[in-house]
Amino acid sequence: MTALLRSELLKQRSTRTNLWLFSAMLGLVALVILLHGFGLSAEILGRRTSQLEVLGQGQRLGTLFAALLGAMSITVEFRHGTIRPTFLATPRRGRVVAAKVGVSMLVGVPFGLMAAAVAAGVGSASLAARGLEIRLDGGDYALLLVGSAAGAGLWAAIGVGLGALVRNQVPTVVGICTWLLLVEGLLFGDIGLGNVGRFLPGSLAKAASGQDPMTLLAPGLAAVLLALYAAAAAAAGWAATTRRDVA
Amino acid sequence: MGVSNSVVRVSSLTKRYGRATAIDDLTFSLDSGTLTGFLGPNGAGKSTTLRLLLGLAEPTAGEALVFGRRYRDLDDPASQVGAVLESNDFHPGRSGRDHLRALALAARIPRVRVEEVLEFVQLAKAADRLVGTYSLGMRQRLGLAAALLGDPELLILDEPANGLDPAGVHWLRTFMRRFASQGGTVLLASHVLAEVAQTVDRVLIIHCGRIVAAAGLGELAERGGTLEDAYLELTAMEAS
Repeated sequence: MTALLRSELLKQRSTRTNLWLFSAMLGLVALVILLHGFGLSAEILGRRTSQLEVLGQGQRLGTLFAALLGAMSITVEFRHGTIRPTFLATPRRGRVVAAKVGVSMLVGVPFGLMAAAVAAGVGSASLAARGLEIRLDGGDYALLLVGSAAGAGLWAAIGVGLGALVRNQVPTVVGICTWLLLVEGLLFGDIGLGNVGRFLPGSLAKAASGQDPMTLLAPGLAAVLLALYAAAAAAAGWAATTRRDVA
Repeated sequence: MGVSNSVVRVSSLTKRYGRATAIDDLTFSLDSGTLTGFLGPNGAGKSTTLRLLLGLAEPTAGEALVFGRRYRDLDDPASQVGAVLESNDFHPGRSGRDHLRALALAARIPRVRVEEVLEFVQLAKAADRLVGTYSLGMRQRLGLAAALLGDPELLILDEPANGLDPAGVHWLRTFMRRFASQGGTVLLASHVLAEVAQTVDRVLIIHCGRIVAAAGLGELAERGGTLEDAYLELTAMEAS
């Protein structure tokens, strides 16, 4: 299994895809935080919950990009046909999915960590620049970083599972973006499925980093439930990959 | 043909996709040291047969065995079977060397072997370039390098000469003959009958999912006419 993990790690390192994803993510985080940090009124930004929500935008984007890198670790192989030589080298295909889950989680964690760190840095600097008092303590920052790293790692595994199920790159990527950016927001916010919404995987990643503690679940519980989602997605991808033919 | 030393043994192999039958009760075997051409019109079932042999697809009925086992049950498949199925199974943004290194890692093949096969297929100088910049002939050679990584005893090649220049075609033919003369086994799927006639010992002709001929080139010649004559006659029949 170590050999297979090294093979998958080399695959992720040897193209520019992840570097591109990482740069795009950091750029977007900085942009979104600056827009919020300077766009919102001083009255709103003075509140602790708003500050937590603004800095939490890093976690949202870290989660999204980690999910995309996980999904693309497998859809890119179907897209370019490298899945054939991959499965010829490792005909027990479930092991390939397992290695992709492992490596994507490994790469996903620093995605989540860096997104949260940049958000915390840029966000705090924006607040300071406007002369607003920062109402977050060390514990809040630590939970943002750790929770974001964990959420991104687990969503990377979800991405691999979805990619293995769908196989086709564009629908997988569009599906993940739509779900995380749109669907959960609608279900949770506008349509008002609050009680159900907080059990959905995007909200769990948010909760794991300590955001919106009045409505969302406690961070520890959220992380455990998100891990169950990740395990289920990986298992579904594993089963589909083992059973279905490769063209 | 002795069944016991068959490198490839396909028995009553059938593959259906929904109501369409791609492969219909196929039976054949390949002995070690033979170089066999696998011929048939587009859609005859050549690629499906190769995928079933290599464990990429599951048969509806029957079995396809390599070295007496299903491909996925081989302990060390890369050291037994090497295959090139498509000429473009590469990530365009990855270098040729990294493509081979990732496969070598997965198959537990030492890194020095990557350099050996790169030299062998004459890609050592282009190895650090991205595959997206390779010509079709270079991609074919990179695919062959990947197939040779584990120093296999059986080669399964689908149109390997596609895109090669005349010198490349000559090199490939010489390589396949030497491989077989040293006890290796080759299954060569192709449309290029003139090239096949110059290269192989025997042919399997498949039409509408069934084997319509399995014969040595000599036997076909005794019936009179060229390989092309025989092929056109056999594949003109409507499948029952």
